Amino acid sequence: MSAKITIDGREVEVADGQTVLDAARKLSIDIPTLCFLEKCGPMTSCLVCIVKMKFNGRTSVVPSCGMKAVSGMVVESETDEVRDMRKTALELLLSDHVGDCFAPCHRICPLRLDIPEMLRMVKESRLPDAMKLVRDTMPLASVTGRLCNKPCEQGCRRGTWDDSMSIRDIECIAADTAFASDYIPACVAPSGKRVAIVGGGPTGLAAAWQLTRDGHTCTVIDRSAAAGGSMRKKPPEAALPRRIVDAEVDLLIKMGVTFRLKSELGRDATVGALASEFDAVLIAIGESAKTQAPSLGLTALATGLKVSPTGQTSMENVFAAGAAVRPAAQVTRAIAEGTAAARCVDQFLRGQPIRRSEKSFSSIMGKVEREEVEIFIHSTAAEPPSSSPCGSCGFVNEVDASAEASRCLHCDCRAEGNCSLQHYSEMLGADPGRFRQQRRRFEQHDHPGNVLYEPGKCILCGICVEIAKQSAEPLGLTFIGRGFDVRVGAPMNREFDAGLQKVAAECVEGCPTGAISFRSGKTVSPLPNHQH
Amino acid sequence: MSAWASVLAEADKRAARDAEIFGPVDEIVARIGREADCVIPILQAIQEHFRWLPEPALWRVCETTKITPAQIWGIATFYDQFRHKPVGKHIVHVCHGTACHVTGADRVEEALRRQLGIPAGGDTDPEGEYTIESVACLGCCTLAPVLKFDATTYGHLDAQRLPAVVADFEDVASQNPTHSCDHDHEHNHEHGNVIKVGLGSCCVAKGSDRLFTALKAAAKETGLDVQVKRVGCVGMCHRTPMIEVAREGKESKFFDALQPTEARQLVLEHFRPSNPLRRAIGFGTKLLDRFLTDDAQDSISRHVLNVRDPAVDAFLGKQIHIATELFGEVDPLDLDEYLAHDGFKALRRCLGQSVFVAEAKTGIVSENGAAVPRTPAHTPGARGKRSPVLEKPETGAATKVTGEKDNVGKLSPLPEGEGKGEGKRGVITGIASPSTATLPLNPLKPDEIIDMVTKAGVRGRGGAGFPTGPKWKIVAAQKNETKYVICNGDEGDPGAFMDRMLLESFPYRIIEGLAIAAIAVGAHEGFFYIRREYPLAVERITAAIAQLEKRGFLGEKLLGTNYSLKFSVKEGAGAFVCGEETALIKSIQGERGMPRLRPPFPAESGLWGKPTLINNVETLALLPWVLRHGAEKFAAIGTATSKGTKVFALAGKIVRGGLIEVPMGTTIREIVHEIGGGVGKGRRFKAVQIGGPSGGCIPARLAETPVDYESLREVGAIMGSGGLIVLDDGDCMVDIARYFLQFTQEQSCGKCTFCRVGTRRMLDLLNLICTGKARRENLEELERLAPSVSMGSLCGLGKTAPNPVVTTLKYFRDEYEAHLQGRCPSGKCQALIKYSITDHCTGCTICAQHCPVNAIPVTPYARHVIDQTLCTKCDTCLRVCPHQAVEVK
Repeated sequence: MSAKITIDGREVEVADGQTVLDAARKLSIDIPTLCFLEKCGPMTSCLVCIVKMKFNGRTSVVPSCGMKAVSGMVVESETDEVRDMRKTALELLLSDHVGDCFAPCHRICPLRLDIPEMLRMVKESRLPDAMKLVRDTMPLASVTGRLCNKPCEQGCRRGTWDDSMSIRDIECIAADTAFASDYIPACVAPSGKRVAIVGGGPTGLAAAWQLTRDGHTCTVIDRSAAAGGSMRKKPPEAALPRRIVDAEVDLLIKMGVTFRLKSELGRDATVGALASEFDAVLIAIGESAKTQAPSLGLTALATGLKVSPTGQTSMENVFAAGAAVRPAAQVTRAIAEGTAAARCVDQFLRGQPIRRSEKSFSSIMGKVEREEVEIFIHSTAAEPPSSSPCGSCGFVNEVDASAEASRCLHCDCRAEGNCSLQHYSEMLGADPGRFRQQRRRFEQHDHPGNVLYEPGKCILCGICVEIAKQSAEPLGLTFIGRGFDVRVGAPMNREFDAGLQKVAAECVEGCPTGAISFRSGKTVSPLPNHQH
Repeated sequence: MSAWASVLAEADKRAARDAEIFGPVDEIVARIGREADCVIPILQAIQEHFRWLPEPALWRVCETTKITPAQIWGIATFYDQFRHKPVGKHIVHVCHGTACHVTGADRVEEALRRQLGIPAGGDTDPEGEYTIESVACLGCCTLAPVLKFDATTYGHLDAQRLPAVVADFEDVASQNPTHSCDHDHEHNHEHGNVIKVGLGSCCVAKGSDRLFTALKAAAKETGLDVQVKRVGCVGMCHRTPMIEVAREGKESKFFDALQPTEARQLVLEHFRPSNPLRRAIGFGTKLLDRFLTDDAQDSISRHVLNVRDPAVDAFLGKQIHIATELFGEVDPLDLDEYLAHDGFKALRRCLGQSVFVAEAKTGIVSENGAAVPRTPAHTPGARGKRSPVLEKPETGAATKVTGEKDNVGKLSPLPEGEGKGEGKRGVITGIASPSTATLPLNPLKPDEIIDMVTKAGVRGRGGAGFPTGPKWKIVAAQKNETKYVICNGDEGDPGAFMDRMLLESFPYRIIEGLAIAAIAVGAHEGFFYIRREYPLAVERITAAIAQLEKRGFLGEKLLGTNYSLKFSVKEGAGAFVCGEETALIKSIQGERGMPRLRPPFPAESGLWGKPTLINNVETLALLPWVLRHGAEKFAAIGTATSKGTKVFALAGKIVRGGLIEVPMGTTIREIVHEIGGGVGKGRRFKAVQIGGPSGGCIPARLAETPVDYESLREVGAIMGSGGLIVLDDGDCMVDIARYFLQFTQEQSCGKCTFCRVGTRRMLDLLNLICTGKARRENLEELERLAPSVSMGSLCGLGKTAPNPVVTTLKYFRDEYEAHLQGRCPSGKCQALIKYSITDHCTGCTICAQHCPVNAIPVTPYARHVIDQTLCTKCDTCLRVCPHQAVEVK
């Protein structure tokens, strides 16, 4: 026996007993699911997997995860109407979602460094791990470790309690560790595409780093004898020792970037020539671009080179970024411009539609009351900073850094990047503020066994309740209460983790959001529900 | 003395406490069972014993049964009934049903809290005397607003009467007569001299139980030849407690609003002693009574209900009694009486026996097919002048308490015999003794039963109106040895009490209906799922089943045949959502009442995964009639798509509230204006709310809408289970929408996103509108969200929750617009209104004396002023002002 149904105009046959969701997956249609986990069976609680169905002369909206496929069903999945309903479901969940996707420091960082995760590593004396995290996230990390204007520290929640974390100093110590090791950030498989980057300043080097990581072969062309641009000219030696710039350039060379030094655009090569020699060209020659524009055959505006919103000049494969387009006082900003432009170039090279990376989805709690900060303070070192910064890098040794890192509130979400709610909200463009009302108070139950339970992030899918039941946990979990105030917890007012003596790890794994997580950090497993 | 001593002392204390708890728990478990599905009855029994659920008791249950801590805790926190902390000596239930809401339940609760000294945010007074609990609906809508002190219900309340109510209750409590009239059951051997007392919950709430007891005592004491008989609901709730005095060879007389103190007199006046000696004593007593109390004669007379009154005629005239057949006539629990009225004949027919039944006589259908109204046997329908007796008590005399009769005029009883012969006595079928005109009926096979129900066009009376016959057919077609039938008596809609009345008044008929359904689909086990707010209904169905089992009518040999059928009662625990069939099934199975996705429908996979038929109480109540009188007779009543009759609970702003049964297709106007007598004097009929939280508001201008499934759906409402709340110009439609959404929001099981969060967000938006804080975007968002919640919710609760909002937006948009501008045109939304005192004030100080929060300083002979910072808008000043000098803006 089998069932033949139609989804979005395509016929598909599934075995008897399989669901509409199974059928859709067979057609590689990515129907979002939050509460569905194979081993638990359909919970039909999140209603994000809804589809519109015509069957037996009736039209209805049903959760695809629980609806058994029956021959003759005509299903709509990828239509505006259905997408809008799914988006509404997500927005309703988000309206009662008490938690930030990102800690403020992480959200604010122009280079999107996962600062709380880095601090956890430093705190646990896992400096090499912290170094890898930093080096995998951002280019020129030892430069930013010294010159960054530290927006992260201004946003730090610890600062509302006593003093902000010394984030930059810790990042610096982690980043510098790379030079003593032979660590090279991993790159994806070579694309066979070649990119010329004109200008070896922060923007150009950042772009080269990013494009190399993306698998392209990069050549940096700079008129000086040594790459580094403004980094070599502006800051005093004490603020940024030149050996650090050298080391960063060395690291790029190790990654496979080639440098064509003492070569000036216009004199040694024309834009046109580069554009035909390479698959793409990125002009990052700084503020001088504005005056040079006519000789380069480019158009300039008052601020700099004229580019499209995607960073392209009048020539399709010639991009421009950084101070060449718009003056940037800040080195971190310049680096961020470089990586952003590199992403556009990458999309161009891969023949994808070019989208300048927009602000990514993020659930934001908004103002956090002092009582709520207290919840975080609970599990941190309560003392103010133990040492004061010295020299160009704040800490003399990693012991100091570890002590400082232990002050972090870890107000981030451990599931960030591994959260189905975040993933599908991003995908469907959900607006977390659509139904925003007075939010509930933030809650965090920090259990000795490393289990962190944050009820405000629970979407009441029931997966953990079911997992606990299936594995015959002695106490187990249950839904408590009814209606809008339903919560998941251990019975008889016992602590949450009392209900999960055997299967905590499985529940952390199964949780579609960050309601159950491990205090020690983010899980590394891929999204259980996702197909990428 | 060491630390050990204290540790040991502590252990001893714990052991003692445990013994105190474990003993009763073990007994309960032994009595109820150890399976997982026993959890709800066990918790109910524990709460009955301790009045709350002490945690050690729950642990003990888990230790001694198959129930797990996770299960018991999930259940104990899901259902409203269960309490997790100790309560005061007495529990006061504050009804927040629709009728109570529109008649000021919020103000009553506020005043009650003040009266009992219950702090804000708490539920118990510091002395631990009283705990108050909100309930969604007590089903006594015609008495709104209603409070229930332990088992005693008080109706028609307002803030000023509360002290008297509390005093009366304390009086009652000190006498400790937790006495149910049902225990007085005895076989009624009907003879001529009978006093019939309506003992439905509403009637009891109005004091009919005390009257019943007093009448029985009086009959016994005087030794007069009269039997005092309990009957079910009389329907005319606006008149309760109502009694009928039937005398051999004489016209029946009806009395309303009688006090227990008058019982003796009534008995003495109407009945003669059976032997000469007693007659002489009786005469002497009568004389003495008259001598001692000169107004004795009058005081009884003025309660006489003139049965030839046009108002009574109008109330009963349009009605057809099928589900409520024999209303006000039979003792609910008298099996012999039920049998004498063709009881269980329909069932016998279904069991393959030929039967003879009384013919459906006149009045059901006229030649042109139109329904012809009938009046019940005891109500002569002669025309007469409307008498002052029939005015509804205006101030609603906080019943049971005041004994005031200032609201009734004086009138002599009708001269005996007058009007005799003009009346339609005996018109009703089946009243005549069974030996009269009979009609033979052939036996039916299960498929023939289903055909007949299908042909009759019976549709589910629970709400959606799914055709009953086809539903049975699906269950009957299932190839499964085990099937179940369930009577859905979880009537949770605020403002509806039809099912309660039917269960209380006609338990045998409902049982017969369910038995017929069981035979039709091939089930051998059935359940009555009845909400716990209806204790009398539970009691009567349980007693009726026991009686049937005792007589061998039910059980291994159903009515003596080889068909085995077992029925039991399952009590709900306070969750509206359990009226949804999949949630109901979960509740019976001992789980949280969370609906699941359908399909599979219960017809295929229901209770314990077996094919299960679930029918509503009223649907079942119709069946015996249908099977006795035929599909054609039933189908001849009603409209093209909606056959038969519908029972409505008529309440709200209406002169004659009560329980009515009208043919489908009767218009709203007929119900409101003709049957209900319209809204009160000086008020304007604005809308009816029909179908409760799943239904909608139909404006006065659509009053010609006939009540049938399709017409109601067309205008945006639904039949629902039959609550019909009349609203007048004092009711704010935005507030009504907000009220219902608050209800559904509180009753959502919390499973699916659209219902759990969606209804909450809709409520947030409505709260913004009602408090004048909303902007146009909020209104637009409300309109945008409503269809998403309807479409996306998993079960009927969520799918229909937006209906009250959608219909009010459709018909009363102007009121929403006014709220956006900060005005509540009906003067209802507290945040948008202000009480003030006008120039009409004479400085009489009455308002100042009554103000419960001292917001009006006493200024004799000068115009009073309300301190707006203190005013709680309780409405007291407006009610007490003799000069109409208080205005609301």
